[in-house]
Amino acid sequence: MEKGLTVRKIVIAGVLGAIAILLGVTRLGYIPVPTAAGNATIMHIPAVIGGIMEGWGVGMIIGLIFGVSSFLNATVPLFKDPLVAILPRLFIGVTAYLTYVGLKNVNQYLAIGAAGFIGALTNTVLVLGLAVIRGYMPFGVAATVAVTNGLPEAVVSVIVTLAVVAAWKKLGSSGRQKSKISGDF
Amino acid sequence: MSAEFELTRNITIGQYLPTASVVHRLDPRFKLGAFAILIVAIAICNTYVGNLFALAVCLWLFQVSKIPLHYGISGIKPAIPFIIILAIMQLLFYGEIANGGTVYFQYGIISISSESIRLVIVSAMRFVEVIFLSSVLTLSTSTTELTHGMERLLGPLEKVKFPVHAFALIITIAIRFVPTFAMEMEKMMKAQASRGADFGTGEWWRIVQRTKDMFPIIIPLFNVALSRAEDLILAMEARCYMPGASRTRYTQYKAKGIDYAALGASVVISVVMLGIPW
Amino acid sequence: MTQPIVDVQKLSHVYMQGTPLSHVALNEVSLQVQAGECLAIIGHTGSGKSTLIQHFNGLIRPQSGKVIVNGMDVSQPKIDIRSLRRQVGLVFQNPEDQLFEKLVGDDVAYGPFKMGLPLEEVKNRVKWAMDLVGLNFQEMKDRPTYALSGGQKRKVALAGVLSLQPKVLVLDEPTAGLDPRSRLELLGRIRRLNREEGLTVIFVSHNMEEVSQLADRVYVMANGKAVCEGTPRQIFGNQELLREHHIGTPESVDILYRLRERGYDINPGAFLPEETACEILKLIQR
Repeated sequence: MEKGLTVRKIVIAGVLGAIAILLGVTRLGYIPVPTAAGNATIMHIPAVIGGIMEGWGVGMIIGLIFGVSSFLNATVPLFKDPLVAILPRLFIGVTAYLTYVGLKNVNQYLAIGAAGFIGALTNTVLVLGLAVIRGYMPFGVAATVAVTNGLPEAVVSVIVTLAVVAAWKKLGSSGRQKSKISGDF
Repeated sequence: MSAEFELTRNITIGQYLPTASVVHRLDPRFKLGAFAILIVAIAICNTYVGNLFALAVCLWLFQVSKIPLHYGISGIKPAIPFIIILAIMQLLFYGEIANGGTVYFQYGIISISSESIRLVIVSAMRFVEVIFLSSVLTLSTSTTELTHGMERLLGPLEKVKFPVHAFALIITIAIRFVPTFAMEMEKMMKAQASRGADFGTGEWWRIVQRTKDMFPIIIPLFNVALSRAEDLILAMEARCYMPGASRTRYTQYKAKGIDYAALGASVVISVVMLGIPW
Repeated sequence: MTQPIVDVQKLSHVYMQGTPLSHVALNEVSLQVQAGECLAIIGHTGSGKSTLIQHFNGLIRPQSGKVIVNGMDVSQPKIDIRSLRRQVGLVFQNPEDQLFEKLVGDDVAYGPFKMGLPLEEVKNRVKWAMDLVGLNFQEMKDRPTYALSGGQKRKVALAGVLSLQPKVLVLDEPTAGLDPRSRLELLGRIRRLNREEGLTVIFVSHNMEEVSQLADRVYVMANGKAVCEGTPRQIFGNQELLREHHIGTPESVDILYRLRERGYDINPGAFLPEETACEILKLIQR
């Protein structure tokens, strides 16, 4: 744990944790991909955003909240196993934070997007890895799920993380971005 | 149809069912501790008889906590298709990996062994046990009690500089804000629907479209949450909230004999469960 | 009498029906809105205003009673709900929260794109809508939404609804939380939409100044019922009615009533600021 949790860190962790819980109990937390592992999820995104904004400690706590709530709400045997539901989730915010810190001096947008991607990837790889180790699915199935679920999860994670964090950090329009409806009449 | 957007209004976390049983009256610290011990034991245990024993304990818990069993069963029902799919997969493809047992059948990558059968049965039982156990816990303990219990349980960690109080506060904030954000989400869905969005009506194979449909809800939801966070930070700092400052408590828990007995029982049950060799 | 564009007949709505938490939000409410009218709905928090207006574009379907909008019966499950939502533009409280695209132009264009319109038509509509709310199209379309002020964001949100080119515009407390200058400007824009573009406007408000200056007709709601209706002059000119239903009054009405209580001969229906000033001048000159 980082030294000294400030009021800011406590509140941000709590609020993003609330979103993680909320996404878990409503259908909005899921991307409908019909596979053996159930729907793909976007519930890791609060942990990613928390990690980028307030450091690895906050990211880890949100991951824990996500893990516990997915454990309690699970309807799939895979996530009724605390080792699979909770443990991997602790690292989502941590890897997202490390990615962001490592790249932020190169380019802010790149760093945020990459953090969103790596955070999602951490979730996919660790959850499926543990699922294989704990005997819920053979390696071949896990590899398929990594593509069918992991890929959409990572893409959504990048888009939402970029949109939210860029707005929060009030990043200016760096790439002279034009709206879709721009152009000559 | 009018329920189209009302889904979020009715969500509850923790469905506390006050039946005033012994289990309800247990000190939350001890209840949580006992629960954690049992969960860990169930996660490790992979014997037939051990799991049968655990299942019996769960059923007994429903009885003493005066909670109708159908609350637990309703948690299992939606999972049945998944259990079956999982079982078939484990049965067919796991003989190879779960080695050590007798192989009954082998054809290409398909192999069925005594170990893969054990895996199928044990993981299904484990799932049912965990559902039952967590139902008993959440039905017999309010969320406030749960948070308090967790905070006290982690108390000793304060000695190694783990911010226990801050941690409990984070959980409290998270639980407090779920209904608020649910309302925001409902409003957001309605507002976007008013300008042409639709949710979950596309065919299931149009994954990209259905995923795109989420952005107008998810992104504003995060933005609203973060601006609420800013307000709360300001309010807490204005009241001079100091993380880590020592503070007194409003609710005091005092452990009684029954609490120690519950904890002791969970340890004994776990030892028996893991000690059974079959 | 012509067919009203919005016709609500004996509409009732109960939240969480059949549970201990059930709550009657609307109780046999009837109201008619003529095309081109500007209607205000006032009433205390919890009087059912928000529930009522969500029926207008089918976000809530009638449990009992009827809602007919521009000839479409909202209670029929088979009606084209998307077409209804394009005809009735609903702007929620604090609509600035609903912006989600990074750039202003994209956000305003969300609705028209969803309608499947060709790019050229989308552009025209976005430009038209942004002009109506007072945002310069060329200057603003490529700005990031989060860099805008609260008032500007609200205009973007309003433009996002207007770009659907609705026939009826429904607004839930359109000016709440705005600074006085943005408030006046927005009110002016809404009035222009109503008077010049011919939009039927229905708005919910707690601000009686706003109601008295903007509305052709006022509905007063209390406890899920429409308790009375009339022109602002009829409503604010009737002190018993105001007392009975605890309706707040514009400041000008307050002044007029106080003067009358002191025995001055004054017309309490003259509540527009200029009229009030005239009345007072008359007293002084007498």
